[in-house]
Amino acid sequence: MTLIMVVDDDQDLAEMLGIVLTGSGYEVDLVNSGDQVMPLFEAHEPDLILLDVMLPGMDGVEVCKAIRAKSMVPIVMLTAKGDTQDVVLGLEAGADDYMVKPFNPNELIARLKVRLRRTSANQEVIQLRIGDVLIDQVAHSIVKSDKIIPLTRLEFDLLLALAREPGRVFTREALLNEVWGYQNATDTRLVNVHVQRLRAKIEADVNNPLIIQTVRGVGYKAGA
Amino acid sequence: MRFLSNRWRTSLLFRVISTTFALSILLIGATGSVLYFQIANGIYKEKTNGSVVEAQSLIQYSQEQLFSTQYIAKTKVKDVISNIVRSTDQTLTSSPRDVVLVGAPIKNQKNSLYNSASGGIPVSAIPASLRKSVEHSDKIKWIRAPIVFNDSSKSDAIIVGGLIDIPGQPTYELYYVFHLSEQETILSLVISLIWFTGIFLVLVVGLLSWYVVRQTVNPVRAAAQIAEKLTAGDLDRRMLVHGKDEMARLAISFNEMAVSMQQQISRLENLSRLQQRFVSDVSHELRTPLTTIRMASQVIFDGKEQLDPSAARSAELLMSQIARFELLLTDLLEVSRFDASASILERSPVDIKALVSQAIDQLQHEGVKQIRSNFPSGDVIAEVDPRRIERVMRNLIANAIDHSENKPIVITIKDSDTEVAVAVRDYGIGFNESEAKRLFDRFWRADPSRSRIRGGTGLGLSISLDDARLHQGTLFAWGSPNNGAQFVLTVPKLPGIPIQNDLIPANPNLTTSTSFLSFNEDDI
Repeated sequence: MTLIMVVDDDQDLAEMLGIVLTGSGYEVDLVNSGDQVMPLFEAHEPDLILLDVMLPGMDGVEVCKAIRAKSMVPIVMLTAKGDTQDVVLGLEAGADDYMVKPFNPNELIARLKVRLRRTSANQEVIQLRIGDVLIDQVAHSIVKSDKIIPLTRLEFDLLLALAREPGRVFTREALLNEVWGYQNATDTRLVNVHVQRLRAKIEADVNNPLIIQTVRGVGYKAGA
Repeated sequence: MRFLSNRWRTSLLFRVISTTFALSILLIGATGSVLYFQIANGIYKEKTNGSVVEAQSLIQYSQEQLFSTQYIAKTKVKDVISNIVRSTDQTLTSSPRDVVLVGAPIKNQKNSLYNSASGGIPVSAIPASLRKSVEHSDKIKWIRAPIVFNDSSKSDAIIVGGLIDIPGQPTYELYYVFHLSEQETILSLVISLIWFTGIFLVLVVGLLSWYVVRQTVNPVRAAAQIAEKLTAGDLDRRMLVHGKDEMARLAISFNEMAVSMQQQISRLENLSRLQQRFVSDVSHELRTPLTTIRMASQVIFDGKEQLDPSAARSAELLMSQIARFELLLTDLLEVSRFDASASILERSPVDIKALVSQAIDQLQHEGVKQIRSNFPSGDVIAEVDPRRIERVMRNLIANAIDHSENKPIVITIKDSDTEVAVAVRDYGIGFNESEAKRLFDRFWRADPSRSRIRGGTGLGLSISLDDARLHQGTLFAWGSPNNGAQFVLTVPKLPGIPIQNDLIPANPNLTTSTSFLSFNEDDI
């Protein structure tokens, strides 16, 4: 059974999230403060973390960094402020996605499903290559210069989406749809931040990217 | 000349000094003249009195000498006269004089035997007026007049004359001519002294006034400079305080003003920060319980089949009203962020065509089928905040749908090198002049029953206008009753370039007489 860790200091909201998630067939761990996250995380190894940005004790952004240092588990941030630095800080700390309160519970479930889905392996091509990066869809791993590079599932999905159609220019909206499962979204920060994180892991020179190239005013494409 | 008039207007120092110069020249000139005339008058009066007394005694003495020739033998009249008619020895006396002896006129007879004069003065040099008055009186007469010498040189003199009897002869007139050259020398000395003193005084007064005015003007200049710096935002600037005089008081009051201004500004800044904090706190505090309420209502709504009809309907109402409340909260927070100047523009290069298409697609998903688009063929890339521009488009299109009476809505995009314009035109009920004025007001609705169709918050157009301004763009509206309305958003493609052209004029049909324009108030 899939275990989701819900970290929120508002006990009523946490309980409500528990009801909704349990109703959708997930197992739920409720945590009320940032300090309790790491011990429980190590003990239960959840499949996904739902994390409030504003937390007593350890701040949501710091919790996010601490988890990323140890694991590639999907993290979805919950924030009350949709258009402040909070979102960007959370994404840069390693969150895969975020939900702005008050969110639609159905949309939350849909988003969690996208984050939890296994990239289906029944593709014709099992191994893909862009530049000196080898993508193994079966092993779900990235190999660059004989070294395995650890990527979050989201980063893997993003790279794979670009690599499957080399040369095609993806708009940010198209990537949001394909990788994050958004419809009609315009929040390009998600894409920008994750492309930057991905580049930092796989590009030789971040300022002169060769694997994920920017097409000004349009979006991104995979390089040769 | 223009330089001087310019200086006059701009420099207090120049004005005060030139005024002081002019006034002191006038005053010292007048004083000098009065002084000169007083001195000259005094000197001449003194000389005249002395001359008259001297001449009187001399005439008397000469008369006695002449009479004595009658009693003393060997004394000849001629010798006595030559002794009388003689210039004073210049080395012995300080007042040089000459003597003229002339016979008084007698009828039909010549009386000029002893006519004589000293010092190169012709006998005719004695003015006729003086001679007349001397001839008709026993007393001594005098006059001040110029004397013309034989060599026709001229000189000022006091001439004193009286009658004299020469034994055996008709009456003669004896004149003493007192030269004024000495007095003239003194007076020319006095004049040059007055000039010298005058010029010296004018210069001293000028310098003094320059010094005094500088003492006053310098602190004023310093205050002006510091005031300029304060205006430019350098709020920590203060004037230097020297001593305890009026200037020190000016500096102290000035500094107190600056301090109070700084406090006021920081108080306002603080207020604005508090306001922003408040907005942010309200945001967080309201959103968390609203999230719980929303999820709870969703759970109840999802299970409404098991509820009785009234509870099920209640669940539906709860859901729709929570959605409305949420929209209102979002818009309210956006508005207060604009009011607190806390809105941040997150620019990124986007295709405006794609952005507008997205807004249209979203509405078409909701079953709206009346939208026609009129886009240019190429990409329209602009550096804008996509979230805000999409929101503006959603608001404008939703507004058009609400007022279109199901007639078509045309969306046009036009761009130039520097800016891009999007027009949303409907052919519905339009608006009139009084409505045009309130169009962008918060919570204002032309027809309250209409807005319920799409559930707008009444803040959409106000937020759209703020969004346009945040982009340094414009939002114009045109409307005509029953002919529809057109809203035109124009934004620069790159930040910092002000809008210059009307890519799409707000009024789509300039010949329509009954049309009203509502302006982005910054442009009026």
